[in-house]
Amino acid sequence: MANISVEAIHLTKHYGAYNAVDDVSFSGSQGEIIGLLGPNGAGKTTTIRLLTTVLGPTSGEFSIAGHQSTAATEIRRCIGVLPESSGYPSHQTGGEYLRFYARLYGLSRRQARSLSAELLAAVGLEQWGRSRISIYSRGMRQRLGIARALVNDPSVVFLDEPTLGLDPAGQAQVLDIIRTVADARDATVVLSTHLLPEVEQVCSKVVILNQGRVVVSGSVGEVIGRALIEHSAHLRVPLHHVERARQALMHFPGLTINQVEGQPDLLRIAVETPGAASAASPAEAMNAGLTAVTAAGIPVLRFELEGARLSDAFLKMTSEAVA
Amino acid sequence: MTLQVAPPAVGTRQDVQAGEGQPGWLVVAQQECRDLWTSGRGLILLFLFSVLLSAVTYLTSTNQALNFLEQRESVNLVLQFAVAVGVLATLVVGADGISGERERGTLETLLVTPVARRSIIVGKLIAALTLWFATFGVSIPYLWVLGREVGILGPALVLGFGVGTLLAVGLGSIGLLISAACNSNKTSIAASIFLLLILFAPTQLPSGLPQGWFFEVLLRANPVASGLAYISALLVEGHAWTQDLSYLITPLLTAIIAGSALIFAGPQLVRLTRGVNAG
Repeated sequence: MANISVEAIHLTKHYGAYNAVDDVSFSGSQGEIIGLLGPNGAGKTTTIRLLTTVLGPTSGEFSIAGHQSTAATEIRRCIGVLPESSGYPSHQTGGEYLRFYARLYGLSRRQARSLSAELLAAVGLEQWGRSRISIYSRGMRQRLGIARALVNDPSVVFLDEPTLGLDPAGQAQVLDIIRTVADARDATVVLSTHLLPEVEQVCSKVVILNQGRVVVSGSVGEVIGRALIEHSAHLRVPLHHVERARQALMHFPGLTINQVEGQPDLLRIAVETPGAASAASPAEAMNAGLTAVTAAGIPVLRFELEGARLSDAFLKMTSEAVA
Repeated sequence: MTLQVAPPAVGTRQDVQAGEGQPGWLVVAQQECRDLWTSGRGLILLFLFSVLLSAVTYLTSTNQALNFLEQRESVNLVLQFAVAVGVLATLVVGADGISGERERGTLETLLVTPVARRSIIVGKLIAALTLWFATFGVSIPYLWVLGREVGILGPALVLGFGVGTLLAVGLGSIGLLISAACNSNKTSIAASIFLLLILFAPTQLPSGLPQGWFFEVLLRANPVASGLAYISALLVEGHAWTQDLSYLITPLLTAIIAGSALIFAGPQLVRLTRGVNAG
C-alpha cells in the first residue's frame, strides 16, 4: 500500500456555536486524487484551510506528508494550494508571478526563472509568460494558479474549485493537468469541486461532506454502491428494436417493462418485488434480462442501474443527512 | 489540447529543502517594491508630490523676495511639507498592505507559503518605507535651492532624514497594524488618514494662540507635532542639536513601540478572518 500522505483525524473547527467542520476524518495515499464534495457551506473550503494551516483547528489533528499539524512551516513547504476564488496581481506578468512564488519557497533567481518557464509550458501558457495577468482569461488564470501551486514540487496539492466558472474545454484542460500531477509527480491531490461527472473520471476516492460532517467516504464505486437502487434500470436501444427488446425482457417473471415518457428508445426495467424474479437477486435478474436482450441481437446503447452515478449518490447522501 | 505536467527539472523537493535563495522578507520586500514602483502607484504619488513641492517652493521663494518669510523659515516649511507627505504616503501604503491583499484575494496564497507571517509584514514595511525615501530624495533639490545661501542645507537634510525616518517607521507600522486589523481596505485607509489628520492638526494651529502646559503636553505626546517642533527649533530658532532632544522621545518611542508591536503581534493579526469565502 502506498504511503498515507494526507490524514485528518477528528478535525473540528467551531466559530462560536457554528460548526464549520465537525469531527472530519479521512486519509489519502501518495498519487491518489481525493474528491472533496458537498453542497455550498458543507465545510469543504474550511477543511482545506485547516489542512493547509491557514486556519487552526478547534480540535483534532492531521498530518501532511508525514508532518504533524503542529509543524506548520514544514507542511507549507510540501503543499501546493489553489484557493477558492484566488486573486491575481493584474499588473504582474505570468512569469513574474511564478518567479516570485518560486523564490518564496527558497529557490534562487536562476532556478525560479527556469522553473517558471517550465511550468508555464506545462500548463499551456508559454506564449503568455511575458503578458500581464490582467489580460488572461479565467481559464488561463486558473491554469496559472495551478502552476503556482506546483512551484515547490509539492507532495500534496489542494485545489479548491479549480474548474469554477470555466467552459467545458477549460474544465477538461484543468482535469488533464490534475490527472498528470497525480500520475507523473506522484502527488496526492485533494480536489474540492461541484463537477461530479469529472470527479467520477479522475478521483480514486471521494469524501462527501454536509453541514461540516463526513456523510460518506470511500472509492467512487463504494460511495455509489451505498446509494444504488439496484431493482430498477434504464435500457436504451435503437428505436426500431424497442419492441423486440421489450419482448425479450417480458420472458422474465417479475420484471416490469415500461417506456420512459417522451423518450421512445428508452425502457425502464423494474423488479416488481425483489426476490420474486427467477434470479436470486434483483441485480442478477437485471443481468439475465440484459443477457437476453444482447442474445437476441439487439444492440444496447445504454444500460444503467438507477442511482448508479455519483450525482445520484451525492444527492441521496446529502438529502438524507439533512432529513 | 492535452496538457502534461512532468516531474520538474528544477524546483524539486530537494531544491526547496535546500533553500538556496534569499530570505523571505527580502523576497517579499523586493516584490512589493516592484509592485509599488512599476504599477505606477508610487510614481504617480511622487509626481503629485513634486508638483505640490514646486508650488510650495515657488510661493515661499516669492514671499522671501518680498521679505515676508525669512529664508530659514522657507527651508523649514518645505522640509516639514516633505516629511508630512512622505509619512502620509508611507502610512497609506502600509494601510493597504494586508487588508488590500485580503480584498484582492491574494493573501491566502501568501499564507500557505513557508515564509513566516512576520517576514511578510517586514517585507511590506520596507516597501512602504521606500516611498518615504523617494519623497525625501525628491525634496533635496528644492531644499538645496532654498537653503544653500543660509548654510543650513546639511543640517536640514540630516534632520529631515532622521526625524522623517523615525516617523515613517512608526506610522508605517501603525498603518500595517490597522490594515491587519481591518477586513475592508477602505476602512483601513480611512482610519489611517483620520489618524494622520489628528496628528497633524496641532501643527496647523495659529502661532499666536496662548501655549500653556496643556498645549505643551499635547505637542510632546504627538509624534508628528513634536518631531516637526524639533526641526523648527533647530532650523528656525537656531538651537543646538542637544537642546531640544526631548522632542524626539515621542517619535522614537512611536517607532520602537509600533515597530515592535508589528513584529511581535502582527503575525497573529495576519490571517483570514471568519466568513472570508468560508466553505
